[in-house]
Amino acid sequence: MPNCNCEKPLVPCTVEVIDIVDETPDIKSFYVKNENGVPFDIKPGQCAMVSHIPVGEGMFSCTWQEENEYLQFAIKRTGLLTDELHTIEVGQKLGVRGPYGNGFPVDECKGQDMLFIAGGIGLAPLRSFIKYCFKHREDYGKIQILYGSRSAADLCFKAELFDLWPQIKDTEVFTTIDNAEEGWDGHVGFVPSYLEEINPDPAGKIAVTCGPPIMIKFVIKALEKMGYSDEQVITTLEMRMKCGIGKCGRCNIGSEFICLDGPVFNLAQLKKLPPEW
Amino acid sequence: MKILKKDQIEEALNRMADQAEVYVPLQKGTQTGFYTWQSYDNTTDTLVLDELNVSLPPKQVVFPPTDKMYSFKQNGVEIDIDKIYEAIEPQVVFGIRACDLQGIACLDLVFLTKGYEDNFYKARRENLTTVAQACYQPGQACFCSSMGVDPVHPEADVIISDLGEEGYAWEAQTEKGQALTEKIAELLEEKEVKLPELQEFTLKVEYDGVAEKLKEMFEHPIWEQLSEPCQTCGICTYLCPTCHCFDIQVKTWGDEGYRFRCYDSCMYEEYTREAGGGNPRGKVSERFRNRFLHKLEFFQERYGTPLCTGCGRCIIACPTGISIIKLIEKVKEADTGA
Repeated sequence: MPNCNCEKPLVPCTVEVIDIVDETPDIKSFYVKNENGVPFDIKPGQCAMVSHIPVGEGMFSCTWQEENEYLQFAIKRTGLLTDELHTIEVGQKLGVRGPYGNGFPVDECKGQDMLFIAGGIGLAPLRSFIKYCFKHREDYGKIQILYGSRSAADLCFKAELFDLWPQIKDTEVFTTIDNAEEGWDGHVGFVPSYLEEINPDPAGKIAVTCGPPIMIKFVIKALEKMGYSDEQVITTLEMRMKCGIGKCGRCNIGSEFICLDGPVFNLAQLKKLPPEW
Repeated sequence: MKILKKDQIEEALNRMADQAEVYVPLQKGTQTGFYTWQSYDNTTDTLVLDELNVSLPPKQVVFPPTDKMYSFKQNGVEIDIDKIYEAIEPQVVFGIRACDLQGIACLDLVFLTKGYEDNFYKARRENLTTVAQACYQPGQACFCSSMGVDPVHPEADVIISDLGEEGYAWEAQTEKGQALTEKIAELLEEKEVKLPELQEFTLKVEYDGVAEKLKEMFEHPIWEQLSEPCQTCGICTYLCPTCHCFDIQVKTWGDEGYRFRCYDSCMYEEYTREAGGGNPRGKVSERFRNRFLHKLEFFQERYGTPLCTGCGRCIIACPTGISIIKLIEKVKEADTGA
């Protein structure tokens, strides 16, 4: 796997922002590439350190790699770095380093039905796996996507959610928002309770979830109640990170580093860790 | 055995410092620590080879408190990384003790293993020659032997042993050590001598089984109790020869700047605070627990050795008297219902 500057893992390589798309009022997708195409190959669920070099650096899950064309990062405005990123324009040079982490077990899931459960910006990492499944559609069974956000405006990747993905063979998309609002005739309520309403049968299925920590906890509870085994439930965690390579210390849960040994864990692995996630 | 007379020490350091940055234990004002021999001023500084332990550990030799990584220039939307800083000058650390050498061995595990080699660390480490002073008389806060460190046979390039009036026994252990020996060969004498006997430690603790017991104690009330006096000042992490947590920050002026790393502390609230406001270790007791579990359980599990070398600095420096020895004893006494 090519990796920019793998000899000097803390030094980023520069990429150019080739497109910026407003996904929601506070989420933008940034498409980046360098003169050779992508700076490195990145698997679904893996992360990269993205930096606006004079401002700051943060770990983001890669939302999609399109062959050698670009890397896409959907980034929510929440802090110093992301505030600044939301002001840049196409043509801006950024830094990236990676790929980091283990990524989703895309091969181990082959032949299974897939259930993706996401809340808010939590769809960003899952989208890389969802798109991977669609790209290799024959390798996976039925695909169900359950996605919720605070309001209709906050639903990310709307064109795919409402137009593109529901058209794909054996695919169901469920969306929900936290509170009723004018113009929304879809489901209203939190993701975990909607999940219980849909009550997807665990037989032959892998559930992959990401969202706010509190949502993940209740989703896991709901899945356990429905009979999903620990090996059938996968999530991707986040912690504050600085180095991305298991050295700076802060992203540990027990003796594991989320940047290096994660961010993807199944529930059986999570249950072996101290309850700090 | 080769002997370096005490009145030849300064000359030996001068010769070593000719081609390398040489770090020695110095007292500067009220502060003791490892400083460069080049910075030694005989009107204000004292060489303190006997001090156990100087308060600042020598980890800075391979892992400085702040370390410039790369600089950049901006021009509109263009940003170029124009220089990567890698330390390639030879370094010698003279008079390092076994505990601090074990500290560097722990840093080696962190920075040079498990998938990635940290080039900034590696450059310094490869250019380092270690001259360790064997400890025969443990200090009042020393407990290295309890943490599996041999104070008399440190894994250094050269071992020196204080023989009192006879001088220092000088034993090269490696090729690097041989090379350094050649540099000061004419200052060394050959003589039959007897090395001292290791004296008793006053501080001891039984670490065997502690990592295993701690596995069952993540949610034990002991963490609330023991962390109660902690002021989260972070001095324990700053002085620890094994603490390696770092932050990455940026310094800019005009269109230029550089990115550097600097020591961070797991005792600080910001350490794990996320941009979205969440903090998995927001409470003092959670940070305290993570620090000690990292030292005594997690590091042991991941790398096969504890992340404490028994140097005793944190025990001496803690303003509220928290002691890792007492903590280990409390853990051993704790009722886990097992």
